[in-house]
Amino acid sequence: MNQTIEQEQVEVDPLSIARTVADVLKDADVESVLSELEQDLVGLVPVKTRIRDIAALLVIDRLRKNQGLTANNPSLHMCFTGNPGTGKTTVAMRMAQILHRLGYVRKGHLVAVTRDDLVGQYIGHTAPKTREILKKAMGGVLFIDEAYYLYRPENERDYGQEAIEILLQVMENQRDDLVVILAGYKDRMDTFFKSNPGMSSRVAHHLDFPDYKVDELLSISDKMLDAQAYRFGPGARDAFDQYLNLRVQQPNFANARSVRNALDRARLRQASRLFADRNKTYSANDLSTLEVEDIKGSRLFRSHEH
Amino acid sequence: MNKPIENTAITDSKKRYTAGVLKYRQMGYWEPDYEPKDTDVLCLFRITPQEGVDPVEAAAAVAGESSTATWTVVWTDRLTACDSYRAKAYNVQPVPNNPGQYFAWIAYDLILFEEGSIANMTASLIGNVFSFKPLKACRLEDIRIPVAYVKTFKGPPTGLIVERERLDKFGRPLLGATTKPKLGLSGRNYGRVIYEGLKGGLDFMKDDENINSQPFMHWRDRFLYVMDGVNKAQAATGEVKGSYLNVTAANMEEMYERAEFAKELGSVVLMVDLVIGWTAIQSMSNWCRKNDMVMHMHRAGHGTYTRQKTHGVSFRVMAKWLRLAGCDHMHAGTAVGKLEGDPKTVQGFYNVCRESYNKQDLERGLFYDQDWADLNKVMPVASGGIHAGQMHQLIDLFGDDVILQFGGGTIGHPGGIQAGAVANRVALECIVKARNEGKDILNEGPEILRKAAQFCTPLKQALDTWGEISFNYTSTDTSDFVTTASPSN
Amino acid sequence: MMTNPTGKITQGQFSFLPELTDEEIEMQIQYGLDKGFAWSIEYTDDAHPRNTYWEMYGNPMFDLKDAAGVMMEMRECRETFPHHYIRLMAFDSTRGVESITMSFIVNRPPVEPGFTLSRQEIGGRSMRYTTVGVAASKPEGERY
Repeated sequence: MNQTIEQEQVEVDPLSIARTVADVLKDADVESVLSELEQDLVGLVPVKTRIRDIAALLVIDRLRKNQGLTANNPSLHMCFTGNPGTGKTTVAMRMAQILHRLGYVRKGHLVAVTRDDLVGQYIGHTAPKTREILKKAMGGVLFIDEAYYLYRPENERDYGQEAIEILLQVMENQRDDLVVILAGYKDRMDTFFKSNPGMSSRVAHHLDFPDYKVDELLSISDKMLDAQAYRFGPGARDAFDQYLNLRVQQPNFANARSVRNALDRARLRQASRLFADRNKTYSANDLSTLEVEDIKGSRLFRSHEH
Repeated sequence: MNKPIENTAITDSKKRYTAGVLKYRQMGYWEPDYEPKDTDVLCLFRITPQEGVDPVEAAAAVAGESSTATWTVVWTDRLTACDSYRAKAYNVQPVPNNPGQYFAWIAYDLILFEEGSIANMTASLIGNVFSFKPLKACRLEDIRIPVAYVKTFKGPPTGLIVERERLDKFGRPLLGATTKPKLGLSGRNYGRVIYEGLKGGLDFMKDDENINSQPFMHWRDRFLYVMDGVNKAQAATGEVKGSYLNVTAANMEEMYERAEFAKELGSVVLMVDLVIGWTAIQSMSNWCRKNDMVMHMHRAGHGTYTRQKTHGVSFRVMAKWLRLAGCDHMHAGTAVGKLEGDPKTVQGFYNVCRESYNKQDLERGLFYDQDWADLNKVMPVASGGIHAGQMHQLIDLFGDDVILQFGGGTIGHPGGIQAGAVANRVALECIVKARNEGKDILNEGPEILRKAAQFCTPLKQALDTWGEISFNYTSTDTSDFVTTASPSN
Repeated sequence: MMTNPTGKITQGQFSFLPELTDEEIEMQIQYGLDKGFAWSIEYTDDAHPRNTYWEMYGNPMFDLKDAAGVMMEMRECRETFPHHYIRLMAFDSTRGVESITMSFIVNRPPVEPGFTLSRQEIGGRSMRYTTVGVAASKPEGERY
């Protein structure tokens, strides 16, 4: 964001004199972040569309500000809802970058916390804890995962309310210094917002992260294997497709995380298989291929064969 | 008298130790394949051999005459493990663009030196060899002192960091001034200058190097009046103030007496001149450590042997010796003032004072890496013909850890001494503030100073009086290496 | 009113300049953060030059990236102690330094009576000096 000094000590910020969308984007290099997002994450079409919309809104808002049409910066606090493993933290990091490049946050770093980082165990413990986190996050984005755990009305000695009060104040009065992103399961976030209308009114953007479909999960698994120099052998991919179809119906499905765990277990089975033959010379191909039996060995198949 | 014309070292003992004269390189003082040990003291000499003298032989002679040799073979050598005691010249290179001059690298075994004694180190290295006839000129250019040897020295009694903590002053250079005129003021008048300068905003005042105890002002009077001024100024400003009381005297007993008196009166700092000699310097350094006193070293007289590039001892070597001997402040040059010093070379001296580890930097005249093994750092002092109008250049060159002394620049101010001090302090603070804000102080400095002068009349007067003064003479001691040259080692 | 040219206690990096505005303070804080220093806030009503330990307003703030956090705390300190001296200090923990590298005053009492010098005459013409705060005769908290 800094450029050479043009006259005396006045630094001319190109963002502040932009008149076209191209002007804003040229200096801000937002396109590369958006395309990185496109590459990093499979699927998530509604989320990506929403992010493009938000980016567009911020760009236009910048142009409006340059024309003097609006004085205040828009509210940027957000809420990401969805099941675990759907990419919320990854998107939060990219969002921090986008906000930084468009000049809405000064430094663009991400601080990710949960309730325990913000709330203390005894009287007087919470406020300094919360404030310390806030100070570290200023200039960037504060990501609070499972934010609804801050609110525990059933326990009168719970100090979460204090943290909520402090957050509300900073979210309102120091919007230029900090952006807050809350995250968690959709139904629980809805309940949380109903009981905390103050919080609800401060969140400008709600993004819902749908579960991945099976074909998207397969693409994710391709990417994961590729990154670790593994590949599916003949028939193995179809077997994994069958596995996924079974798995999504089971409880506690955590999307990308569950895929990673399944692949790790398949690698374990592959290793055991190869280990059994002490004397065979293994080629690079042998060592990096997951065969059908490595996939089919999952107990998920066994319980369904009955 | 000269025997064989061979040029290689003679290893046959009978031949080697038969009475007669051999070339130094035959006696084992030239070893081109020698790998210097981490525990060796390494010296770089710049030698100008006489016509007809071979440079390698000259280098070997320097090695010999600064360690164990003499001009003829002696049988008593064989009573020693002489192979290990000999200094070894291991490399000779011509100096770029200076025909007739050569760099000679020489290594000395650790056993040759007494622990913790600069007197001994200097007696060994420069005690004999500089008068040697076959050399037209010789200069000790740089030295690498091994960590094993560094650890035997106590170093500066206070050090830069602790001094700042004692003064409670951080984040900016310190300001000082030498009382002027150099000689002649009586005690009472002297104290007045001290009070005005410190009250006006300087951190330190300074005795000049030749103020000891003369008929016009006895030292006790000076100390009494100065400390009155210092304490009054401290109460008037709420800052810790000091004045370097010069305790240089004819002998150690008198020096101790003067130092004790300074301590009794509550001074935070005292001053010694280089001319007291290495032994006295180390004694005073020990005393200062025991008595919580900062020791200011004035490098009086160094110019006689540091200034000419061809002959003497480079100030960077002096700086290293002074840091080991233990002084907290060291005059190291201004680059832009009235006294000798090219900017890069002076920055080299400052790095010797302030860094924990000097890396080889040929442009700044540092030929060796030097590991200081966490020895305290020395605060360099820039003193001599500088004024407030140069503040941006000084801070750009030297950073925050330096004492800037403006003697004439304070006392000669048209508005008086206090005004002079205010001008310097305001100039200093506004440049530091601007630099922290990200401004380019080297180029915008004059403009920043002019702006500050709008709310500070003394600064305006200073800029008007001295703004045009500069001292542009060619330096006599610049680096042989510009940025594009590659090091030859 | 103190008799030195500024009329104030001249401790800190910028005491001879006009009082820093909040924007200027923020720039200094950011400079320190960019260099990796940790800022802390201290306050006192005993600004004797040899008083090293002022009261800490919270612990030193490590790992901050942006000045806003420090400014927030500083503003609260000013609200809580409007008539005290408040200073910001930056700490550098690199080896060989491990000490404070920046220090400047951001709040002063409205009137600074300053210090007097007390002299004790000892045998001959020798003297022992003590700097005494004019306000220090009152108890803590009631001085300014």
